[in-house]
Order: sequence, then C-alpha cells, then structure tokens
Amino acid sequence: ETIETEEKPVFDFKSYMIEKATRVNKALDDAVSLREPLKVHDAMRYSLLAGGKRVRPVLCLAACDLVGGTESMSMPAACAVEMIHTMSLIHDDLPCMDNDDLRRGKPTNHKVYGEDVAVLAGDALLAFAFEHIAVSTSGVSPARIVRAIGELAKSIGSEGLVAGQVVDINSEGLSDVGIERLEFIHLHKTAALLEGAVVLGAILGGGCDEDVEKLRKFARYIGLLFQVVDDILDVTKSSQELGKTAGKDLVADKVTYPKLMGIQKSKDFAEKLNRDAQDQLSGFDSRKSAPLIALANYIAHRQN
Amino acid sequence: ASPSSVSIRSKAADFDLKTYWTSLMVQINQKLDEAIPVKFPQQIYEAMRYSSLAKGAKRAPPVMCISACELFGGSRLAAFPTACALEMVHAASLIHDDLPCMDDSSSRRGHPSNHTIYGVDMAILAGQFLDLEGGPNAVGFIQDKKFGEMGECSAVCGGLLAGAKDDEIERLRRYGRAVGVLYAVVDDILEERLKPEGDKDRKNRGKSYVGVYGVEKAAEIAEELRAKAMEELDGFEKYGDQVLPLYSFVNYAIDRSFNVDDASG
Repeated sequence: ETIETEEKPVFDFKSYMIEKATRVNKALDDAVSLREPLKVHDAMRYSLLAGGKRVRPVLCLAACDLVGGTESMSMPAACAVEMIHTMSLIHDDLPCMDNDDLRRGKPTNHKVYGEDVAVLAGDALLAFAFEHIAVSTSGVSPARIVRAIGELAKSIGSEGLVAGQVVDINSEGLSDVGIERLEFIHLHKTAALLEGAVVLGAILGGGCDEDVEKLRKFARYIGLLFQVVDDILDVTKSSQELGKTAGKDLVADKVTYPKLMGIQKSKDFAEKLNRDAQDQLSGFDSRKSAPLIALANYIAHRQN
Repeated sequence: ASPSSVSIRSKAADFDLKTYWTSLMVQINQKLDEAIPVKFPQQIYEAMRYSSLAKGAKRAPPVMCISACELFGGSRLAAFPTACALEMVHAASLIHDDLPCMDDSSSRRGHPSNHTIYGVDMAILAGQFLDLEGGPNAVGFIQDKKFGEMGECSAVCGGLLAGAKDDEIERLRRYGRAVGVLYAVVDDILEERLKPEGDKDRKNRGKSYVGVYGVEKAAEIAEELRAKAMEELDGFEKYGDQVLPLYSFVNYAIDRSFNVDDASG
C-alpha cells in the first residue's frame, strides 16, 4: 500500500557550485602558498584568490567525474587552469594591453604591485600551473599526465588563447570584421581555455578517446555560447545589472554578435549552441552529466 | 682528483669544443626553425621567431642538454625537442626582461629587442607563448632567469631523457648549477674589466658578483665554482670520453677561448 514516491533527484546547481568552488579555493590557497620571494608570491595570490566563479576549474572536475575519475586526479589540473586564466587577466590589464585599473572591483595587479612584478607574477603563474600538474597529480599514469600537459599548452599558446588575443588586437577599429573572424577570436580567446579545462578533466579522469572528443565538442560549444551571451548582455543590461560597465563594446566599436546578426538572431544562436553542447552529453549517465548540463544552462541563461 | 680523472681533465683541455659546439648549433637552429613555422596569425609567429632564432644566440642551454643526454648514451634525436624547449624558454625570459616595465632594453645581442619591433603587447604574448611551447619537460623555471637555474635545468633534462640514475641526476644538477653561475661570475668580471675607469660599478652595483664582492673576491668564487664543477664530473669517470664536452664547458666558461656567435655563421 505504501507507494514509494520516488522523485527524480533534482540537481542543486547552486550548492554544487558553492561546494566545488570552496574546494578549489582551498586547493589554490595551498598550492600557491606565501613563500620567498614574498613579493611575487603575494602578487600571484592577490589575483588568484580574488574570487571569481571558478567556472573553469569546476568544469575540469565535473568532466573528470563524468568519465569515472576522482577529485585527486583532476584537482591539480583544475587549479592549473585557474592559474592560467588569472595570468591572462593580469597580462590583459597591463597598460600596454587593455590598460585597466579595476578587476572584480579591486585595483588591478599592476596598480598594486607595479608593472614589472605584474608581468613576473603572470609568468610565474603560467610556469607554476604546469609544474603543479606534473608534480601534484596523483593516481594518473605518466602518459596521461604528459598528454594533459601538451593539451593545456596548446590551448593557451599561439594556436589557442594567444592567437585569439593577437587577432583581437589586430581587429580593433576595423570596419569589416566578419562573422568568421569574430568566431576565430572567441574560439581562441574564450573557448580554448574552457576546452582545455574540460579535456584535461576527461583525460586525467581516464576517459576513452571517444569520450574526450565528445567533451571537447561540448566545451567548444559552451565556449562560444559564453561569448555570445556576453555580447547580448552588454547591449541588453544596465551597468548596475551587470556589475560592470554596460555598452562597453559599442563604445569601443567592437564587433559583436548582436551587431552582426541582431539581438533576436543572437539569442537564437545561443539557444542552438546550448542544445548542440548538451547533445554531446546524451550518451553519458544522466546523473553524472547533470553538473555539466547545469553549467551549460547557467552559461546560457545567466543575467550578468 | 684520481690519476684517471687527471688524465681525462687534460684530455678535455684538448677537446675541440668549437667544432663540437658549432656543428650542434647548426642542428639546433634547424630544429628550432622547423618547430616554429609561420602560421596564422603571422605576426605572433614572426615575433617568436625573431627572438628564438636570433643570430648571436649561443644556444648554450640546448647544447648542455644534448651533451648531458649523450653522456649516458641517450640519442641526440630524442633530446632535440627538449633542447629546443630550453632555448624557447630562455628566449621568452629575455623578451620579458627587455620590456619597458622591466629592464627597458631597446637592444639585445646587437639587434633591436622584441618589443621595439613588434610592440609591447606582442612581446608579452610571444614571451608567454614561448614559455608554453616548451611543454612538459621545460616547466618550472621560467621566471628564474639566472644562469645557474638554466644550467642546472639543461643538464638535468639531458640526464632524465637518457634515463640516468637518481644519484647521477643529482650530480648533473650540482654540475649544471656550478657551470651556470661560473659563467655569470666570469661575465661580471670580464664586463668590469672592459668598463672605462670612473664608470665602474655605476649601473650594476648590487646586481652583479663584482658589484657586491669586488673583482678579487669574485675571482675566488669563480675558482671555487670551477673546482666544484670539475669534481662533480670526476664522478662520471666510467663513461670515458663521453664526458669530455661537459668538462670543456667548464673551461670555456672561464677562458672564452672562441666566439660562439661568430661560429653560428
């Protein structure tokens, strides 16, 4: 008589993110401890531990989990990806690049420590990211660790992040930037590191080649999605809603998706990217893929 | 030193390092050239090539790496990727060192520095990228530009690639560090001698061995380092003549008997 009302467990995205981000923050704090020489480590920690949603490291952990790996296999890589993301922000903010004084509401690294230390803190984070994966990953074969390191290097080098930055710099003020060039920039500037995060998790977690490639595609779709949504928010939200200056792209005369295809088509494009991304996950255990699906939806539907 | 190490040391004094080094350099330059083809976006690859293929570079880190690898019978072909990685990391650190916010140098090895030609933004990105090309074997020492670190890493990488035993790796580590620091100390001393009277210890005071200790004490330090490096190599006696290049690097660090830059052609 007692019918068990077994409800499908609802995935609680918010507490999942909070729990994972807390673990990532602890791991980062331990990895980049304050040591000699104090100044550069202090500068590294200033930007690395400044908050942020930790989307990249959580993607890495979630991908590892999805293919059956454990946290100790992917946590060093997850931290490495965040270190590299932080490095790119520090270097982006430099006077010779975007020349920003504020980042996440705090003075930028070079404003606090000087340009010379900021360049070195970025370099040190970049170097340490690789050292950390090489030295601290446990329970993974050397062959997979080497493969992961190669993937990460490629995703941020001149075939990845750096390529995107260069083409972006070269495109400023150009009137005829087409959709292809725009996509190149975003696939390299934003999507490459997200791809690296996901693919590293999959490789280190022991995923087979087929799974790794499915997750790579998933990451590319959400990487592009991330940027399309960013562009839409820039024109549809106020500065207050965004927590940063709205309409910045228009003022900077930057080419964006709304500019090239209009707002409605951009929104449709975003929906399609989200669907395409989630399609890649259909072959996996639905309980295990819940975090990645929720992350994709979060990226698609975020309001700031 | 034992009689046999005395004999190998004297053999090393006759070793034709110039021919050995130059022929290796030709191969290293070719591998580097192949490793960094120009792709899209062209500008960044050109900036990277400008610095890592620059004429006038001695290619000391890759040469040291290959010599250490060959000491244990490792193959030169297997060592090339790591050897090139060491040179790229070296180039990256020089690019960032020259930036206006760092040492602000407008020239390097007699040519305009990277940012002077490609702009500071490209120079930062090129340096960042060269750091990465290195891959798994060359990580962890990028920001430490010091010769000791580079010498240590180059020697250790070569040994690791050849499957040297742990105690041999540690010996290489001490040797590489000693040679690297020795090279830097001798550089300081030579530079001091070249300076016109009155200009001495103006800029580098506190930054160089001579600036901190004075010429005499720096020469003493150099002698200690030389003895230390030689002593470490005596431990590789059983490898016979394969160790000769490593001995002759120590001699070269002191006497600079030829100019590698000219040899590059």
